[in-house]
Amino acid sequence: MFHFKSLHTRTKPPLKCIIVGSGKVGNALIDVLGREGNDITLIDQDPSKIEEVTGTYDIMGIVGNGASFRVQEDAGVKEADLLIAVTESDELNLLCCTVARHAAKCATIARVRTPDYSVEANYLRDQLGLAMVINPELSAAQEISRLLTIPGALEVSSFAHGQAQLIKIQLSAGSPALGMTVAEYSQTYNDPLLFCAIERNNQVHMANGNFLFREGDIVAFVCQYRQRHICLEHLGITSGAVHNCLIVGGGRASYYLAKNLLANNISVKIIERDRKRCEFLSDDLSDAVIICGDGTDETLLQEEGLPSAEAFVPLTGMDEENVILTLHAKHVSSAKVVTKVNRFSFKDVIRSLDLGSVIYPRYLTAEAIIAYARARRESLDSNKIVTLSQLYDRQVECIEFFIDEPSDITHRPIRELSLKNDLIIAFINRHGRVLFPLGDDTIEVGDSVMIVTTHKGFSDITDIMD
Amino acid sequence: MNRSMIIYVLGTVLKLTGIFLFIPVICSLIYHEQEGLPFFVTGLCSVGLGTLATLHKPENTVFFLREGCIATALSWILLSIVGAVPFFLTGEIPSFLDALFETVSGFTTTGASILPDVEAMSKTALLWRSFTHWIGGMGVLVFLLAIIPMTGGGTINLMRAESPGPSVGKLVPKIRYTARILYGIYMVLTVSMLIILIISGMPVFDSICTSLGTAGTGGFGVKSDSVASYSGILQWIVTIFMILFGINFNGYYLLLQKEWKKALSMEEIRAYLLIIVSATAIITVNVADRFSSIGDALTAAAFQVGSIITTTGFSTVDFDKWPDLSRGILVLLMFIGACAGSTGGGIKVSRILFLFKNTRHQIFAYLHPKSVRPIKMDGHTSDNETIMGIQSFFAAYLLIFVCSIFPLLACGSDLITSFTAVAATINNIGPGLGAVGPMNNFADLNCISKIVLIFDMLAGRLELFPLLVLFSPAIWNEFKK
Repeated sequence: MFHFKSLHTRTKPPLKCIIVGSGKVGNALIDVLGREGNDITLIDQDPSKIEEVTGTYDIMGIVGNGASFRVQEDAGVKEADLLIAVTESDELNLLCCTVARHAAKCATIARVRTPDYSVEANYLRDQLGLAMVINPELSAAQEISRLLTIPGALEVSSFAHGQAQLIKIQLSAGSPALGMTVAEYSQTYNDPLLFCAIERNNQVHMANGNFLFREGDIVAFVCQYRQRHICLEHLGITSGAVHNCLIVGGGRASYYLAKNLLANNISVKIIERDRKRCEFLSDDLSDAVIICGDGTDETLLQEEGLPSAEAFVPLTGMDEENVILTLHAKHVSSAKVVTKVNRFSFKDVIRSLDLGSVIYPRYLTAEAIIAYARARRESLDSNKIVTLSQLYDRQVECIEFFIDEPSDITHRPIRELSLKNDLIIAFINRHGRVLFPLGDDTIEVGDSVMIVTTHKGFSDITDIMD
Repeated sequence: MNRSMIIYVLGTVLKLTGIFLFIPVICSLIYHEQEGLPFFVTGLCSVGLGTLATLHKPENTVFFLREGCIATALSWILLSIVGAVPFFLTGEIPSFLDALFETVSGFTTTGASILPDVEAMSKTALLWRSFTHWIGGMGVLVFLLAIIPMTGGGTINLMRAESPGPSVGKLVPKIRYTARILYGIYMVLTVSMLIILIISGMPVFDSICTSLGTAGTGGFGVKSDSVASYSGILQWIVTIFMILFGINFNGYYLLLQKEWKKALSMEEIRAYLLIIVSATAIITVNVADRFSSIGDALTAAAFQVGSIITTTGFSTVDFDKWPDLSRGILVLLMFIGACAGSTGGGIKVSRILFLFKNTRHQIFAYLHPKSVRPIKMDGHTSDNETIMGIQSFFAAYLLIFVCSIFPLLACGSDLITSFTAVAATINNIGPGLGAVGPMNNFADLNCISKIVLIFDMLAGRLELFPLLVLFSPAIWNEFKK
């Protein structure tokens, strides 16, 4: 049979994006935006970088200064839908966006990561007319602190303005859920949660009632923010939240993380090599303990109490060091460890190491941009996609849609909708109340609805219909 | 090395060639010619084999420059062999080597023929000859990129290996649409030429073949005397279109974008037009006394200049009999060739411009040893790699050129014939001087000379390196694994 609907969704015109700066974030964006079928032009001052990236991805490259209007014009800024500035310098990024915004009325996204500016991120965004300000280090820090405050979680994403969370955990030997099916578990505990997807042997399955839990399954579920601890307890995760955290490396990400943790009453210890940086940190983070020394030194780590630490986060600039430190920490302590990996290559190796929680800051940023780009592809002034997050190596997408107009799916009992397979309506957020829908519930204008699916590229709520 | 991906590309090329072979079959049905059958059978076999090779889509679609070069070179060899089979099967070209020479000459848009009597050929075969020019001009892999969705970003490497010019730029971010725009411009220009020729009174079949041959800057005609027997007006139309097809297609895209200023200020196009005007002027004066009027002299000079610099290779007069100054200029034009990013061959005007600028730069560096001064093209500073690339291209070009002359000399050809035969094939022009002059053909050369010239044609069309890569033992060792 021929699906006219799916044919229609495919013919949405691609978004014309300009990316300024071929750094690691820039390349990650090229990868994800290109995968969604958008037209991408890259501007960078280094010809060899352009050469390299245009050889790998199907994009156009322009050599030049991205803040110059002439160069932007060469890149087609006048017809472009979106310009994303991710060069090394915050000021240059803001200038690129300002030029594009005012000279070509192009929607713009800037990376701003210096703490001085990031405090004023919203002010900058509004004053300069930016569509979005991104700060990969800050989002990484937020993600890490979410992980640290939820015991056992491998991955946590927030939805419905923080009212709901999607939590990914691994079922360990003692979990009461083992040997039960999804349906049995729900009957037994009647918890306010909804299972979404389960990964077993590197294969992802959407949760259905007959799915039998086994040891080692990596389970993703949605629950209300306030009730997450009960849900976790019933699933067999008994350890409490952490009270102290040891961080290696004092870069921007650790600065943001420390701020965040201190605000949550978790004591923080940072080991940083550079004396000047230590002084800056101790000045700004007066509640944290700052140690000046080599964080990769085994004795120093022992002296500073790694074996008894409840959480350990290596945040050096080098992935290799971070991975080694994680492995070491797993060996000598029972601390909860979160590893930040910047590079996206060698993913298979990292998977096979069983590091526990691994976060990729670049892709956290990319998710927000994809959400924006997809919604924009749908309609120019759209804010239909509230949040988008990709799980299990991008095999599963969780998208929160805002319902701003009546359509085929609104005001009809969910059981009457002919939905696609491999798709779950995880929750409906009605005026700040999160409810897990049953067959009789309806979706109304003004709600936001979260969809979990293995289908790719949903950009409108009606895409869920078969 | 990604062997399965190379095989996949080759299979697709095979399928495509098979489909192209059905075009002359249609022609044979219209003119009720027997020769359509071998074309049909070859086409069918080709599609069948290609389908077999592409049944299994490779999982690993990673494609680097190395794979791009190998796939391109092998595609062209495969294309030529398959294209030669019907000529051999119909018996119109009894020797397979000759058939191969004719087909390679067609696909590489050389237009050097071994046929003593073109008019004795069937219309089916003539159309196929001209069509090979058309598809070879813009490139079969560019065509493939335009119609077949290829995953993986590395496919730009196919275009890099096939497209003429020192650097390949995309017009739009996606390679598929870049290829479509190029073929779109190409198609529109070809069809406009066809319509103008028909309106101006050329027979329809001749118009089709001439347009296809001009578009690819090929040069196979349907008459033994090339374009000589057509009226002056038709000759001028062909002249103008030859020159148009020798222009960098990026210029046309800029015109489409209404960027008149940028298009008209492209240094390469300006230099190209300047060379054409000055060469035509000098030759007109030089040969004026051989023609009844200065107008006739101008017509002949402009046609020959346009034909040689764009590497088309049509002719209206036997320029081998012209004075040495004119012959010298034409030989020089053979080497310069058309613009990069056009359908023409030769060294390319942009490379020549670079070499000039580089020489000037060196002279300046002798006077001011510590000076810092970039080489600029269209206002953009050229990076060192581009300049190095052009210099090594030039060196390899000279090397192949010299090495190719000696086998011909050893086989008994005279110096002028050998020199211009190699020049005419490596630059994809067609006729040379002496025994391979515009009124003669390549039939009398022996096997070894023909094999050398076949190699030269392919090397010239693919701009040397993609073909030379095949001769690297390291590649074959890796391929065997």
